[in-house]
Amino acid sequence: MSEAEAVGVEVETMLELVRERYGDRLDADQLASVRTSIEAIVQAARALRAVRLTNADEPGQPFSAYRADP
Amino acid sequence: MTADGEVFTPVRVLAERVRTRRLSPVALAETFLDRLERLGPRYNAVVTVTRARALEQARRAEGEIAAGRYRGPLHGIPYGAKDLLATSGGIPTTWGAAPFRNRVFDYDAAVIRRLEAAGAVLCAKLAMVELAGGMGYRQPNAAFTGPGVNPWSPDAWSGGSSSGSGSAVAAGLVPFAIGSETWGSILSPAGNCGVSGLRPTYGRVSRHGAMALCWTLDKLGPLALTADDCGLVLEAIAGRDPADPTTADRAYRYDGEAGAARSFRFGVLRGVTDGCEDAVRENFERSLRTLEGLGTVEEVSLPELPYDDITRTILFAEAASAFEDLIESGGIAGLTAPEDRYTAYARDAILAKDYVKALRLRGVMAREVDRVLARLDALVAPGRASVAAMLEGEFRSAIRGTARDVMGAVGNGAGLPAVAVPNGFGARGLPTSLQFMGRAWEENTMLAAAAAYQSVTDWHTRHPGEQ
Repeated sequence: MSEAEAVGVEVETMLELVRERYGDRLDADQLASVRTSIEAIVQAARALRAVRLTNADEPGQPFSAYRADP
Repeated sequence: MTADGEVFTPVRVLAERVRTRRLSPVALAETFLDRLERLGPRYNAVVTVTRARALEQARRAEGEIAAGRYRGPLHGIPYGAKDLLATSGGIPTTWGAAPFRNRVFDYDAAVIRRLEAAGAVLCAKLAMVELAGGMGYRQPNAAFTGPGVNPWSPDAWSGGSSSGSGSAVAAGLVPFAIGSETWGSILSPAGNCGVSGLRPTYGRVSRHGAMALCWTLDKLGPLALTADDCGLVLEAIAGRDPADPTTADRAYRYDGEAGAARSFRFGVLRGVTDGCEDAVRENFERSLRTLEGLGTVEEVSLPELPYDDITRTILFAEAASAFEDLIESGGIAGLTAPEDRYTAYARDAILAKDYVKALRLRGVMAREVDRVLARLDALVAPGRASVAAMLEGEFRSAIRGTARDVMGAVGNGAGLPAVAVPNGFGARGLPTSLQFMGRAWEENTMLAAAAAYQSVTDWHTRHPGEQ
């Protein structure tokens, strides 16, 4: 499968999810616009996935444990 | 004792007149309340004029100062707050969104409380793009108060999402305002309106009581006539707040003399003017020549990383969660911009794994930019790639991916401070801007550099006529 085909499959899969959840609220033009937005999201995700990280690369915003005073 | 001559006067100057009792806080408040009521509608800049609260605060300030209890440079100084900061006393907090136009909180946001403690006078809740632009708007007309009109041109946008904060300062409706930035929402209206704006380090200013758009990206900061004024305001609002666990336990004191007689090391990212309008590029190049008189300027580079994608993914995912109820209930159908009524549905396509990958890459990004900044005082760049967009039609946006903004993606993604100041005029006679961005917690260095630039230029002293 080519890169373009892979993107297309991912976009259609995600669009089907959105259509399933919200399709009754969306007309054809709106759904087309949502599809464009999903394409951008998928392209961004693929750009992120293309960068290799090590196991030690933690999120930049670490969680901290909570304890109410005292 | 009137205050008609105090419009377009920096906070620092007003403060000295108030401190020495040459200027009455009540008269000052009356002047700006009148301008807010008379001119605010022209710019769609105001949601609520808080006249009763302002006069109460101004009278209290006047009494305290007369009694020798001067609190500091914001005592008796009027200001406006972006309408995403909670205010008590029956003053609505609308988030710029029609579904919340009558919503009232019973408490003040931390920033409102801190400004009250500093003696500042809340004169208005200022207009903003609905939900701070988090639902994917593509046009200026995205608030129930109408599109923010730029005081420099009635056909131009004041910028988003702190639209009223930018236009109110530019039009002389308030001496300073509070805005918020997730990605561009302070620097954009500051640049579009030709005023100074400060985006503090993430965690410098408490977000308690502010509308959450993105928990790990939202910052609150001032817009004012000068960088120096931004420093005065930051000192009043900065600091640890147990109600916002992301605030850092770092004391902040503004040092207004930090730039005097020092030399700065400025860096310019390679290709940072790619895609800029001609006048923006020309004004930036002229600014660089000015900066060479204040220190050194060198070209630098960052490693190749998907900076825009990192910050955009974090923004979209967190905004979708922050407004989950409004989105899933269909409540977004009540928003003003047609695209805000459905675009957020697409964000269900963001996988958790990709969001976490963006958070991990944010860590890499933060380390890489800090490595570059460690041997500089500031990265400098155009504040915006273009002058303010027209009121009608779609604008280009890095958040939507229709423009590039590496400085904004890195600066907001890594939570770094930046100051934008006016540096000239471009197409249609609209302002352009210059930004200084530095290491975390280096607001004083950014402010010193910006103040040094303003000490040898006069762009910040130019003001629009009343259109």
